[in-house]
Amino acid sequence: MKTPRLSPQTLLLLERFIDRPTAWRYGYELSRETGLKSGTLYPILMRLAKSSLLETKWVTTEDGVPPRHTYRLTPKGAELARAQQTTSPSTATARTAGRARRPAFSGGKA
Amino acid sequence: MILADFPRSLAILLLRFAIWIAPQDTHDWGRGMLSELNHMEGNWSALLWSLGGAGVLAKHAVLALILPGGHRRTVSSASELFDKELPMRRATLTATAACVAASLLFFLAPVFRQAFRVSLAQWHYVLYVRAPFTEQSDPVLKDLLRKAEQNHDAEALAFVALRTWDRSESARLADEAVRLDPNLTWVYASAGTFYLPSSNSDCISALEHWDPQNALPHLIVAQEIGETVTHSKEFPLGKAHPNPGWQDAMEAAFQSPKLDTYVDLQKNLDRRVLARYHVDDPFQVVSYGDWYGLPSYASWYSSSYAESLLDAGKSFEARGDRKAALDKYWTIARFSQLMGANREFFMRKQLKEAYARLATLSQLEGNKAGAAYYAALADQLDKSLEDRLIARRNSYLGSDVSHWNAFLVRLSGLLILSFGALLALCAIGVVIRSRSIRLTSLRPSGLTLALGCVAAVGALLASSILFASYWPYSHALQRFVSAGDEAGLSDLANFLGNSQLPLGSGLRIGSWYVGVGDTVFYFWFSVTILCALALLIALVRHVQTRPRGVAA
Repeated sequence: MKTPRLSPQTLLLLERFIDRPTAWRYGYELSRETGLKSGTLYPILMRLAKSSLLETKWVTTEDGVPPRHTYRLTPKGAELARAQQTTSPSTATARTAGRARRPAFSGGKA
Repeated sequence: MILADFPRSLAILLLRFAIWIAPQDTHDWGRGMLSELNHMEGNWSALLWSLGGAGVLAKHAVLALILPGGHRRTVSSASELFDKELPMRRATLTATAACVAASLLFFLAPVFRQAFRVSLAQWHYVLYVRAPFTEQSDPVLKDLLRKAEQNHDAEALAFVALRTWDRSESARLADEAVRLDPNLTWVYASAGTFYLPSSNSDCISALEHWDPQNALPHLIVAQEIGETVTHSKEFPLGKAHPNPGWQDAMEAAFQSPKLDTYVDLQKNLDRRVLARYHVDDPFQVVSYGDWYGLPSYASWYSSSYAESLLDAGKSFEARGDRKAALDKYWTIARFSQLMGANREFFMRKQLKEAYARLATLSQLEGNKAGAAYYAALADQLDKSLEDRLIARRNSYLGSDVSHWNAFLVRLSGLLILSFGALLALCAIGVVIRSRSIRLTSLRPSGLTLALGCVAAVGALLASSILFASYWPYSHALQRFVSAGDEAGLSDLANFLGNSQLPLGSGLRIGSWYVGVGDTVFYFWFSVTILCALALLIALVRHVQTRPRGVAA
């Protein structure tokens, strides 16, 4: 299975996920926390899911409101995120990169 | 309030459309983006969110066209939670079918079919098939000739002879037409065939016998001698031809009491034949390079001969023979009257000098009234020149309206073809994807449906524009054929002249002029590039779908 090349934006996202590894997260919530726009955030989420690093689920929050798509790291994803966290020199670098103009990662071989 | 909510409504609409065109395996992601809109506070934030998400989905939609669908992993579906897709698909299919049907209905109208044929004329240059009315293999003429020969219709034979560029065939048809109806002898001298039977002295003799007062046969003789003698070398501009036969022919022409190019006879013949055989090809109506203008031989050689008359008149003046000199100048003035409005263009210099000499000689002979009259004619010549030049230029170049309409007709014709091709591609794609030609089994993807819908709506719009742009010219054509009304013929000729040029040619961008040859080159260059791209995409698809060996 392919693992996406980890761009600064991906690292930033993984960092947010690993803060609460078991919690299901919403797209808008992740966007606000990471500062990533939807056009950057979703390609990363989609590629993480394609690499089986992320699992998705539809949840109904309240009656009359459409269900929301939620995301959580798989055990494999969590393992990768922790490994990256330990090897990453500084989360501050990643946080800055999250607001950089460069596009999100593109897929590649691990 | 409604205005304030507009960005959010637009955001929802945009994402719904993006989901609709996106491949199936990205639908959940799109719906995830859509559901997040319910939890956003700002309307503009929602729109920005939607724009980003729609861009992601659109990218996947485009990739799905290039890369095979099976190559992407399908994410778990939650389609049961969203049931809004089906009605949208059905409505789109209905709209697409309605637009296609409406576009096809246009073809039932003869005016539209005529307009569509005119819009195709630009392709003759691009495909090097034939330029309208310049080739003998015109199918309309071939069909008309077949009918004319079957019916022994002299007028129809003459009609074809006037438009056939093959010398021997044109001469044969003209002979046959005159044999059947001697009143058609003028066909030998018509603008379209004046140079064709030029080597046949029998034709000229017949013409002289049929219309002995006309200067035209003499001009044809002069033309024939001029072409023969000055073949392969330039005719000396402004000098009389040294050949005595040419001099005699031109003298006879200048002494003739009338100059008739048989314009009216030809117009009437055209109208009768077009109506009789229901010919609806507008190019056959305006198949004259210069719309019933004066033939070139009558202008070029006339000015040369007028120059020689001026020289002779001056010689007589020098010798004191005013009467002989006046006779020479009058000959120029009288023939210029026969030439009509075209004299300003072809004999203006000689005519002005002749008037001036006539005024001077009249003054010398004490004829003050005559002198004033000729001086006034000379002045009038200058004043009318500018107006006539403008009128002539407009006649050649056409008005802005005819330019614009010709552009619209060419563009709409091109769009109809393009949208038709896109529709056909979509249909083929759906059949291949569904692996069935049964209507109930066809399952078009959202993107295919969207492309098909755009193509159908575009084809309908282009058809409407084509019809509206061409209708005035069809009306002008009908008025000419049915009632002989020539009011719109000049515009029609200019419109058709522009319609034949490939779209994009004739443009001037700064100092760069886009000629017909440039347009043709860029067209084929673009086709080559697109073919190369298509080949590349096909190769990528092949590589992506090729079964790979499994590692042990």
